[in-house]
Amino acid sequence: MSGSGLEFYLTTLLVYGGIDVIACLGLNQQFGVAGVTNFGYIIFQAAGAYTAAVLSLPKDSANGGFQSYIAGLSLPFPVPWIAGAVVGAVLAVPFTFLVGKRLRGDFAAIGLLVAAVMANLLVTNYRPFLNGDAGLALIPAPLNSTMDSQSLGYQWGYSGVAVILAAATYWFCRRLTESPYGRTLRAMRDNDVVADSLGKNLRLLRAEMLVIGGAIAGLSGAVLVGFITLWAPSAWGYAETIVLFAAVIIGGAGNHLGAILGAVLVPLGFEEATRFIPSFGPPGLIPALQWVAIGILIVAFLWFRPEGIIPERRRTSREVGDAQPPETPRPHQPSPRAASRAGNEPEEARSAAADPVVLEARVISRSFGGVHAVADVSIALRRGHLTGLIGPNGAGKSTTLAMLAGTLPVSSGSIWLEGRDITSLPAYRRARLGLIRTFQLASEFKRLTVLENLLSAVPAQAGEQLGGALLGRRHWAADEAKNVAEAREMLDRFGLSAQANAYAGDLSGGQRRLVEIMRALMARPSVLLLDEPMAGVHPKLANEIGEHLLHLCEEGMTIAVVEHELAYMDQFCDPVVVMAEGRVLAEGTMSELRRRTEVVEAYLVG
Amino acid sequence: MSLLLASLGFGLVTAAVLALATVGFTLQFAVTDVLNLAFGAVMIVAAYVAYWVNQAGISVWLGLVAAAIVGSLLSLVLNRFIYAPFQRRRTSSIALVIVALGLTLILEFGLQAFVGGTSVSYQLAQGPTVGSGGFQLTVVQLVIIALALAAMVAVHALLTFTRLGKAMRATAANRSLARTCGIRSDRVVTVTWLLSGALCGVAGTVFAVDAGSFNATSADLFLVLILAAAFLGGPGKAYGAMLGALVIGLATEVSAAYISPAYKDVVAFVLLFAMLAWRPTGLLGDRA
Repeated sequence: MSGSGLEFYLTTLLVYGGIDVIACLGLNQQFGVAGVTNFGYIIFQAAGAYTAAVLSLPKDSANGGFQSYIAGLSLPFPVPWIAGAVVGAVLAVPFTFLVGKRLRGDFAAIGLLVAAVMANLLVTNYRPFLNGDAGLALIPAPLNSTMDSQSLGYQWGYSGVAVILAAATYWFCRRLTESPYGRTLRAMRDNDVVADSLGKNLRLLRAEMLVIGGAIAGLSGAVLVGFITLWAPSAWGYAETIVLFAAVIIGGAGNHLGAILGAVLVPLGFEEATRFIPSFGPPGLIPALQWVAIGILIVAFLWFRPEGIIPERRRTSREVGDAQPPETPRPHQPSPRAASRAGNEPEEARSAAADPVVLEARVISRSFGGVHAVADVSIALRRGHLTGLIGPNGAGKSTTLAMLAGTLPVSSGSIWLEGRDITSLPAYRRARLGLIRTFQLASEFKRLTVLENLLSAVPAQAGEQLGGALLGRRHWAADEAKNVAEAREMLDRFGLSAQANAYAGDLSGGQRRLVEIMRALMARPSVLLLDEPMAGVHPKLANEIGEHLLHLCEEGMTIAVVEHELAYMDQFCDPVVVMAEGRVLAEGTMSELRRRTEVVEAYLVG
Repeated sequence: MSLLLASLGFGLVTAAVLALATVGFTLQFAVTDVLNLAFGAVMIVAAYVAYWVNQAGISVWLGLVAAAIVGSLLSLVLNRFIYAPFQRRRTSSIALVIVALGLTLILEFGLQAFVGGTSVSYQLAQGPTVGSGGFQLTVVQLVIIALALAAMVAVHALLTFTRLGKAMRATAANRSLARTCGIRSDRVVTVTWLLSGALCGVAGTVFAVDAGSFNATSADLFLVLILAAAFLGGPGKAYGAMLGALVIGLATEVSAAYISPAYKDVVAFVLLFAMLAWRPTGLLGDRA
């Protein structure tokens, strides 16, 4: 290879590398960070490429009308590139319906995969639109009227621009990811139902991810088509998306540096490697083996190293961690009310009726395929009370709780919060009104640290929206510091300071329950619904949590607890609602309930 | 009128091929929660097995038996050695779909590396045409429809009347509960993959017969039809899959006659998206 030949090779490598990095960063933002699996990602790259092509092509094809296409506007650089990104973003909008809360993530992914196959089919078969199967050729290179696009200087310039754009994309994705907004995206990725229950608008977040990823993919397509000056359906088969997924998974999903490494190793590396191995076998054998290798790499990495070569970085906070060692929670002084409760005085019932109702379910029902899990249940939670919900397995306690919080829609009946009908409000809207729930099954955000789990719940934090994240750290740093301080205080109170920087997924079962309760409290609830919060928690600690909850009630919070432990109900809850077979059987203080034979027979045996 | 009748005839054949495949695909999802996107790739591998048998001078209908056996075993291997280990690790359903796509690449292009990129056809006489007016089918097409009908009746009988079928439905409804009730769910899973794999092998062969010629990547587009049919009827619903296959099969062929053959599959795509948007649990699925 001559000197200039080598330079041409290097510049080509840089351009392809830059484009692959841009594309992989966009996919990583969607998939690695936010958990939006877009198997149709290649559509958006193709859209950007076609847009840039038809905007820079002249009205009539340069090869004597042998290709037909729409537009042909001969617009000057950089308009086609910008338009490529814009069209990529706009094209994502109609797909956002797929990524709402209702649709399972894998179903949505398949919908997008099918969309990619179909888009390719349509463009292939409909020639007047984008010249069909043959594709577009002779696309003018940017600025080719004033520069010689074949010159070495132009090549260096182009590769410089590609690298700069890749760096800018990295900066942009990093700014999004390393912000409260990014934390919310990662929380959604780890557990979307829980994120929803903490007031995160999943549909909006996912739509934003699709649109941003679409813009980035569109840009990568525009840069690509300006360099290779041709574009056809064979360049963007659905399988090309799998190559990009392979890159992100191998490099390290969730880590933008990993995405860059993956882009260099997989799309670029595979292309270049075949250039240097001697060709063997019949034509088509080497490309086929390339695909096999990519398939094997995907399966092997997902099995042996699912976190990729550069795993997602654990976001540790320097201020917390080993600094504060107290292991035991700071106990609250037993409140006078709790002390009186321990004796089960009957006058408790009188005070219960006096406080205003905050959350009320009016004859709500829920059936699953003909089975009535909950039938005509009415429950009123009063301000400042720790209401207990007990009953045998399958009594409908958790279902009732889920309907109150909006995790499950009611089949019939209505739900009222502070005199407002919230029956039709989705879970995240209820959460924003201060109605927060926890889950029976462990529901921590596994790949967020304990501290991040707590921070993720803070309502209306600065930098949690897309715009705020783009404004940068200066916009949200002060608010973040305040929230971190609050979270540290909470960790201190529950004795988990030492684990602040550990992944929540690595904690013991009891610790995870604590994280969940703390996270719910960080959401500053006015009404708190806890589903078996004490399961797996040490009895001593359970007691202290109970005391703490009572303390919160005294400060005006309204709390409901689903629990199996009767001793716990005795000690802390008033009133207690007994459910059986989807209905409310009785309500009152525990001492009252013990006097009612039908209740004792149904549940309170012993 | 005769155009409509002719397209209905083609539609029935497509629906028959599709029903065989979709029922297999949806049973896998119902019982083991795997969206096996490598289904199309296994179909093509099986179709090639039938081709090799056929090349040896043996009837393609005997080749179909060999294809069913290979499809059965290959499906079992995929589950036993790939999907099930991933599931035991609690790999997310999304990651499992990515694994399935990886397997698709391995199978399809592994096959292509082996057999080359050119298309092949079975040695098969189409037989005389029967029918009246525009509605005409060849004997081979009638055999395909009869095969599909027989398979559907067999699946129905299996699910309704046998202990195994009931165990499959119970496992589909609630795997851990089924296990607690004494159903040996490992055995149920194994049988499900063997059975659905056999359907997959049969579907691959009749797909290749119906298509005339095929190559290693021919089933890519057909997989889209399978997905559309499965989602239309409700993912995991065997009867939904049959209904979905009938609707998609007829809709694609009728639209091929009246709009353009080039866009017939787009109808399937539109129906799939409409279902995902409107009712993700499908026509015969549970209400969300």
